[in-house]
Formats: sequence, C-alpha cells, structure tokens
Amino acid sequence: MKGKAKGINWNYLLSLLISVVLAFLIGAVILAIAGFDPGRAYLAMIDGAFSNARHIGDFLEYAMVLCICGLACVLGSRVGIFNVGGEGQLLLGAIVSCQVGVAMAGMSKLIVIPCAALAAMVTGGLYALIPGVLKVKVKVNEVITTIMLNTIAASFCQFLAKGPWKNANKTMVAATGQLDPRHWFTTLIPNSNLSTAIIVAAFMAFLTWYVMQKTSTGFEMKMTGQNPRFALFSGIKTDKIIILAMLVSGAMCGLVGMFRVYGVEHLYRSSISNQYYFEGLTVAMIAQYNPVTVIFLSFFFAILKIGAQGMELSAGVPNQIYLIIQTIIIFFMAAESGISASIQASAQRKKARAKAEAKQKGGEVHV
Amino acid sequence: MFEDILKSIFSAGTFNQMLRSATPVALAALGGAMTEHAGIMNIGMDGMILMGAFFGALGSYMFQSAGMGVLTVLLMGVVVGLFFALFTVKFRSDEFIIGTALNTFALGLTSFLSRSIFGTAGTKGNPALPTIHIPFLDNVPFLGAVFNNNSLFIYVTWILVLVMWLFVYKTPYGFWLRASGEKPETLRTAGIQPERMKWLASILCGILCGLAGAHLSLGQLQGTFAENMANSRGYIAFACVIFSAANPGKAYLAALMFGFFDAIGLRLQDYISSDLTNIIPYVITIIMMVYVVVRSQQKKRHAHRSKVQGAAAT
Amino acid sequence: MQDIAVKFEHISMAFPGVLANDDVSLEIRKGEVFALVGENGAGKSTLMNILYGINTPTNGKVFIQGRQVEHFDPKTAIGLGVGMVHQHFMLVPSFTVAQNIVMSREPRKARIFFDNAKAEEQTQALVEEYGLVVDPTVPVEELGVGLQQRVEILKTLFRGAEILILDEPTAVLTPQETDELFAVIRRVVKERNMTVIIITHKLYEVMAISDRVGVMRKGQLVGVENTCDVDEKILSSMMVGRPVLYDNLEKTGQPGEELIRVEDLVVEDNRGLTAVDGLSLSVRAGEVLGIAAIEGNGQSELLEAITGMRTPVGGKITVCGKDVTGMSPGQVRDVGLAHVPEDRLATGVSRDASVTDNLLMGKHRREEFNRFGFHQKVSTIERYAQEIYDKFDMRGAGIDTTVGSMSGGNMQKVVIAREFSFDSPVLIISQPTRGVDVGAIEFIHTRIIEKRNQGCAILLCSADLDEVFRLSDRIVTIYEGQITGEFTAGSFSKEEIGYCMTGSRKGKEAVQ
Repeated sequence: MKGKAKGINWNYLLSLLISVVLAFLIGAVILAIAGFDPGRAYLAMIDGAFSNARHIGDFLEYAMVLCICGLACVLGSRVGIFNVGGEGQLLLGAIVSCQVGVAMAGMSKLIVIPCAALAAMVTGGLYALIPGVLKVKVKVNEVITTIMLNTIAASFCQFLAKGPWKNANKTMVAATGQLDPRHWFTTLIPNSNLSTAIIVAAFMAFLTWYVMQKTSTGFEMKMTGQNPRFALFSGIKTDKIIILAMLVSGAMCGLVGMFRVYGVEHLYRSSISNQYYFEGLTVAMIAQYNPVTVIFLSFFFAILKIGAQGMELSAGVPNQIYLIIQTIIIFFMAAESGISASIQASAQRKKARAKAEAKQKGGEVHV
Repeated sequence: MFEDILKSIFSAGTFNQMLRSATPVALAALGGAMTEHAGIMNIGMDGMILMGAFFGALGSYMFQSAGMGVLTVLLMGVVVGLFFALFTVKFRSDEFIIGTALNTFALGLTSFLSRSIFGTAGTKGNPALPTIHIPFLDNVPFLGAVFNNNSLFIYVTWILVLVMWLFVYKTPYGFWLRASGEKPETLRTAGIQPERMKWLASILCGILCGLAGAHLSLGQLQGTFAENMANSRGYIAFACVIFSAANPGKAYLAALMFGFFDAIGLRLQDYISSDLTNIIPYVITIIMMVYVVVRSQQKKRHAHRSKVQGAAAT
Repeated sequence: MQDIAVKFEHISMAFPGVLANDDVSLEIRKGEVFALVGENGAGKSTLMNILYGINTPTNGKVFIQGRQVEHFDPKTAIGLGVGMVHQHFMLVPSFTVAQNIVMSREPRKARIFFDNAKAEEQTQALVEEYGLVVDPTVPVEELGVGLQQRVEILKTLFRGAEILILDEPTAVLTPQETDELFAVIRRVVKERNMTVIIITHKLYEVMAISDRVGVMRKGQLVGVENTCDVDEKILSSMMVGRPVLYDNLEKTGQPGEELIRVEDLVVEDNRGLTAVDGLSLSVRAGEVLGIAAIEGNGQSELLEAITGMRTPVGGKITVCGKDVTGMSPGQVRDVGLAHVPEDRLATGVSRDASVTDNLLMGKHRREEFNRFGFHQKVSTIERYAQEIYDKFDMRGAGIDTTVGSMSGGNMQKVVIAREFSFDSPVLIISQPTRGVDVGAIEFIHTRIIEKRNQGCAILLCSADLDEVFRLSDRIVTIYEGQITGEFTAGSFSKEEIGYCMTGSRKGKEAVQ
C-alpha cells in the first residue's frame, strides 16, 4: 500500500489496532501491579459508558468536544501551522459568549444565540490570528507563542470571572453571571451533558471534512501544508490561506467554548474546559490529522474517558488509567513510524548490496 | 496608597517569595537549556517535573528518608531522559507529539499511582528536605530575610546554575553539545556522534526537571504530593529557555523574573488581581521572541551588507 | 617509484536505487595533486566520502598509507591522516575560528575545561606556519566563503592531515580566491609532501593544478592519465563518454515578437548579497535562449525574479508585454508564464501528494474542474490526469501513487507535463534533465523543441553545457550576476563559452 495517496490506509489501521491492543495490555499490567483485577476494571469501564442513558449522553457530548477541537487542530496542520492555542481560544470564546448572553438576558433566544455564537467565533478567531500572523509575517514559531497565549488567556479569563464579570452571588467564586435559562440549549438526554449543540457540531464536522477533502480550497490548503514553496510557485496565496486556516481553527475552538457554556455549565468557570483542547489535539495526532479518523477516534476516546469515570465509581479504580492508555497509544504510533522506517532502510540497503554484488560478479564473468 | 504598594513590592518578603517561586522553574529551565542546545524542542518538561515531584514523595515515603527520595528522582530522571531520547533521537518522532504525550502520560501515571498507593489524590507529611540556616545572615537586616532559612535546593540551584554554565560554555563537551544542535554534521565529520550529545542532553534534562519536581514536593511543600502539582511550571521553564537563548545564567534570571511577578501578584492581591500580574512574563516572552527574530534577520542582512561594502573599499 | 597514499580496490557503493560507485580501483601517490573529474552524479563525492569514512562501501577495500581500513568512520580516517574539505562547509557558525578548528581535539585546562586562549594560540601558530591568514577570534558566521574555506583547510591541517580531499573547492570562490587556494595547495604539496585530491568539474582547473587526473562517469572510473598527456578536449570526451549521442533536433520557424524582456535587473540572494547585477536580456517567440553559467553566479536568482518567486531590488521585467516586476508567482502565471524549477523536490512537486494532485496544481481553480466554483469534479480531474500521464509516457504505478515514490525521471516528467500543459507562451526552464535517465532526457528535449517550434519563448538554464548547446538558438554566459558574452547557435566553440563563464575571455589565463 505504500506510496498510495488514496483509499483506506490499511497499514495505518493495522498499526493503530496493534497499538490499542498493546496499550490495553500494558494498562492491564499496570492495573494488576496496582492491585486491581484488570478484567473487572475493563468490564466496569464498558459498563460505565453504556450502562445508563446519562452516561451515553455524557460521552456523546465529550466526543463532540474532542471532535471539534481535533478538527480545529487538523485544519491548522493541513496548512502546516500547529494550533496549540486552542485551549485559550476556547476559554475566551466561552467567557465572551457567556457575557454576551448575560448582557442580553430577557431577549429572544433567536437573537441571543446567533449573537453569542458570533462573539465566540470572532473572539476565538482573532485570538488565533496573533500566532498566525506572527508565524507568516515574522516567522516566529507558532507552537511556542500559542503555548504562551494559552496561559495568558486562562489567567485573563480567571481575572474576568473573579473581577469585572463576576457572579453577583458571593458564594460563587471565580464564575461569571449565569445565563437566562431561556437561552440554554435544550438537553437531549435528561441529566446528561448532551444538548442540541451536538447537531450544530455534527454539521460543523461535516462541513470541515467537506471543505478539506472535497473542495478546491481544501486542495489549496493541503498543498500549502505539504510543500509551501511549491504551493506559492503554483500560484497559491500561501500566506493568506495559512492565516485563514488559523482564523477558522480559532473560531471553531471559540464555538466549542460557547457550546460548553450554553449546553452544560450555563455560566463561565474554569471547569468549562479541563485541557479539553489538548485531548482533542491528542486525538488528532493519533488520527495522523485525518479528519474522518478524528471523528471516529473522538467517540472511542470519549467512551474510554466516561467509561473510566464510571469504572472509578463502581470498581474503585482511579480513572487516570484512561490517560495512561491513551498516551501509550501515542507512543506506540510515534515509535511505529520510526521503527518501520529503519526496518525499510535496512532492507533497502540489503537489496542494494545484493544488486552491487550481482553486478560485480556479472562483470567479472565478462572480463 | 501608592507608597504602601511600593513598600509592599520592595519588601524582603517579596524577594524571598521570588526566590521560592523561581527555584523549581529555574531547575527545569536548566534542563530545558540542555535539550534546547542539542536542538530538541522539549515541551515535555511539565511532565518531567510532575514525575519528579511524585517519585520524590514516593521515595521519601517508602524509605522514610528525603535523601532516598532525591535518589529515586535521580534514577527516574535518567529513565525519563532515556525514554524521551529514544523517541526524539532514535525514532525521530515529532518532538512536539512526544512532549505533549509525555505531559499527559505523567499526569495520568502520577495521579493513578498516587490514588492506588496513597488511596487519595496526594500524600503529605513525608520526610522533607532540610532548610538551611546560615547563622551570620541572622543579623543582616534585609538580605537575611531573603536568603536565610530557605529550603536546601534553593542553594543547590545556585551551584547547578554555575556548573551547567561552565559545562555549556567552558568545557569541550559543552561545545559538542551546542554543535550537535546547531550543526550536527560538523561533529560527525570530526569523528563524534552528535546523537550521543542529544542523548546526554535528554538525560540531563530528565534529571534536572526531576530535581525541580523533587524540590516542589520535598522542599517547598515539605513532603507533600498533590495531583498536577507541576501546574504548568514546565511551560514557564520553557519560556525561560526561549527567553534566555538557553544560557543557564540568563535562564535563572528569567526564572527570577517570573518569580518576581508571581511574588508581587501575591503581595498586591488587594490592589490588583494576581491573574493579571501572572500574564506579564508571558507577554514579555512573546515580545522578546518577535524582537529576537526580527533583530537576527536585520543583523544578518546588515553583516553581509557591510562585508560587501568592506570588500568594495579594499 | 613513489609511495602509495591511498589505494581503492574494487569499490562499489550502492544507495537505494542507484549504484553510485561501480567497481572502482584506483591508486593515489604520495605527494601528488590528483584531480577527480566527472559530471554531476558521476560518483566522485561518494568515492571521497568513503575515503573519509562517512560512507561504508558495499563492496571492496580501501588502504590508507598502506593500512587497510576496517571500520569506516571519520575518526579512523582522521587518525590515518585523511582530511576533507566538504563542498558545504562543516563549521559551526556561532563558534569562533579557533573553536571550530580545534573541535574534537580541544586543548584543556585542568583536564575538563576548554582552554580558549590556548586554542587561539594554536590556531595562530597554524596560521603563521602555513601563511593562511585568518583571525582566530572571529565567529565563523562573520566570515565570507573564501575565508570559511581557509578555516576548513586549517582544520584539516590541525588534525594532522597528510591526505587532503577538496570537494569542489572553487565552486563558490572568486578567481582571485581560486588563485590563492591553488597557491596554498602547491605550497603544502611542495613543503610538506602532502597528497591533495581535488574534486572538480572545471577542466581548466585540472590542467592548472593537478599532476594526474582520474575521470569518472556513471559510477565507474573510466581512465587515469598524467595531466601533461591530456588536454581539455580529451578529458571532456572521456567525461561525457558519448561523442554524438543525440540526433539533431529539427528546429523550424522564425523568431517572432519579444515575449520576455529584462532591463537592468538587480536581485539579492537570501543573504542580502547582490546576485544579479544590472542584467538585461530578451527572448522572442519561437526562440530558446540558453544561459550558461557556473552554479552560484546569479542565474537561479534571475529566474526566480522573472517568475515572481523573488522580489527584485531594481530594474524591470516584462512578460508578454506586461510589466510583471514584483508580482506574485500566481500573477505572473496569469500573464502567461510557466516554470520548470531547478530543484524539483523543493519547488516543483509535493512528494506526499498523488500524481493527479501534482498535475492539477495551478489549474485547480479552472471551471472545468469545479462544480459551482468550489466542488472538485474528481472524475473529470482523474480523466485529465490520466490523459497527461499517458501523453507524457510516465512510468509508475499510476496516477494515484505519491510522487515521492517515483524515480527522478518520472518525477521530472510530472513537472514538465504540468508546466507544458498550461499552454503558456513563455516558458522558464531550469535544469530540465538533472538526475534523469538517458531515455527520459531525449523525450524531454523533444518536448522542449516542440514548444519552441509552436512559437513559445523559452529561457533555458542548465548546468549541463551540452544540453544548453543542443537546445538553444542563442546563448548568454553569466558571471557574478552579469552577462559576459552572447553567442548565436553555430558561431561558437565550447572553449569560448567556458572562458566567458569564468568571468572573461581571459578566464584561462587568469587561473594560470
């Protein structure tokens, strides 16, 4: 399959499968060493995700967050820029959209929701624009700037939630005012986090996939990411497309923040996101930045996470085993390409040597 | 009121707090400077610190000795460094992916082990590192309050800064280390494997970040481990490395700057939110990065221009 | 009669896909200047990298000063007295001259500390001993290429080299610097009885400096001669190995209106140095203008400026009657220009993309390939790609394969096919057949002449002089960013052009 640019990459699927199996095996060893019964723990995990409707709703909501964050990351990496700043964009989008909602309390939902969504997208997008422009115009490493900007955004939101925009209720520390309940997204499964936001998110995911895979804009993005010099040479305005991708990526993250506020928390506080963008980014990495794979893996890891939480309650196993398994998968996937590359190189060397020897022998016969 | 603020900022308490906040960051930044010189972008320091903090506490708990805790951390640092180099140097995996994964892995592993071993999210009251009392500083008014009675590693860090600075700039190995990042082929053609220097840098980074964590759990918090206690210090250390161009001395000063803003944030809580003062060092770092890049571009052009003119003149 | 410094026995070196050295046996005597010549990719550098221990040969033995090399690594080679000055200098830019020179053999204080004062002292002593003047305390990044090369030579001398390999040492040097270098070579050979191996493809340099010369072609050593027994003509026929390989190409039609016009163009290179220095030229429809120049004389920057990849500092560029100075590559393309770039991997293709995607580039916004102006019509695109794939006789695993998995020749066909199918009236072609096999060369040449006969204005640049001669109607030579000569087809000899490429009609004398 090597060298094919189209179709399903079976090599990738195989190594993903092996990595997942190995990660669960290592997870089992760690569980056993820590004194837990791995079989029971894993069963409790499955049970935790599917046993009741509330958990199903929770993992669907979390899959939505992972998926949109992951796709936002894919969008950046498609043009060769790494948006590590999604967390900051998400938080700013959340707090601004929340404040817009608070300020518009009492108005029609039909006006408030679009305004809030717009505010979230503009905030997230503009915040992503800073590293984007710095990368394109000044060539400052975007990974470092976005990491800095994450901390800045987190602190700044914290400041807003404690200060100017703080909740009138004194018992609520570090939280903004609450939304008018009429503006909340409708919950789809009672008591769960799942709201109508997932419908919008599904549409967004489809749109992102469509633009990236099926349109000429997506084609230009792909080519820019693969070889920017070639793209520029062929007449693509690479600077513009990189900045645009960053803008949209930031807007998507901002929107996730809004979903969290209007769908789950109904106000801004730091639990809006617990490094959720980084988990989405992790999913994107494991998916090797393929949008379809991101969508599928989002569900997988959301089930794993919510299942792990259920497992903690029912079997008393710390839910962090989920993080361990997830990162072991990454390590295996990262090592796999390195190992297989070195195997291939040595095979090629061997082949070349055989060829040289054959040629020399052949030459001597003629002489 | 303004006078009160100034008095509060420039008090011995502020500077002592600055020293305390800066030390774990500085230790990690020393490690980050090593990998940076070797040409590895290391954003996995946060995870390395966290693991150092946990294994320090664990060692101290298991052997009921802070010294054994530090020893455990040294061992762990070597293992983590080897692990990091295995992927970034041997397998040539993406440094960013490995760094991010390492951070998440550390968070998962330490939380999991902590809950499994201690039954709760953390542990406290384990044997801690001693504080150092310097008798003659007792009677020195300002400096005594700043520099006396601090945890051991605050002083150890000073020594390490000097040692690492000497290592990087004054020994042949430091030259090889910098060459391995700047132009590895140069080393190869001189008969030295640049990969070896990268492995070495990675191990040193693992050890130093581990010590930063050990200082957090065994020094600063007196034998306490809490979940995610690195609390983004790895990223601050990374900013220090960038800020200081990986010079150990300057990295320490950069860490002091972060510590200073942290300290005045705590001091001025009544006047201004510490969340805002926390932002300042990061903004400065970004501005510095832009400045450094722009200036190096200008300098390069200027150097070549003047050379051309010089050549034309002769 | 003389001692043997280096002996190669049946050396073969295979890289994935290429046999870079094919059963090479060679002896190099102590105290001689040995020149190794051959075209690009003939295997000269590979052979020398084996001697220096960077490459381990797949077959064969190497003896240095009579001792067989067991382990191929630079450390062993250095220990046996081999020093190499690479084409791309192996210097750490931020270190000083002295720090670079003593690397791996640093003088120490108290066993662990680097003794900078002593390093500078030792460097100064070396400088005085060999008369290669350079300031030991200056960072290397502040030196020009000529001085950097001097540092490289000092470095090998510091390591006690008795056999000095110079890989294309004059490629980046001015004639004066070349003179100085040759003076140094003569001195070390005479005074120190050193052995010097110089890799080059400039034949007049071979005549000027060497005692013996070995010629390589396609990985094989095709002959070793005493320099005094041969001349440049004999050497070049040995290098090329094919007196007349090509049939004559049929050129028809008359030149038409002027389509490319460059006036007083000034362009800077990446380092901010003037690369193109007030150059003017023009190309008419139905005409091929060939550029003959040694690499690094501004021809790359000239083509980049015309195609919009680089913004000129001064002057004016007109394409198809329109002022395109300072336009983006996309805008210049819209005016009617297509471009085959010199480095296909860096600029000409995306390795990770399929052949289809690579062929589509630049045309992807066309109406025929898009529904509603944005949705890609996959089947139409694939049909189009397949058509071109067949027309240009590409041989790979089909249009879905990634370009990176194709051979150099087929990859180049992808570039040529894409650029030629724009049907642009102006073609800028650089290194059209670099690293391409013979069959594909013929195919590409035919296509270029076809375009010429159809009335395109073609600006051609190639390191392969025979190619320039074969395809061009007119030839200009460029030296240090300026035109040094202009020739019409049939009215020149190869020597004349060679001299103009080195600065003047007195190029040969200047070197000697």
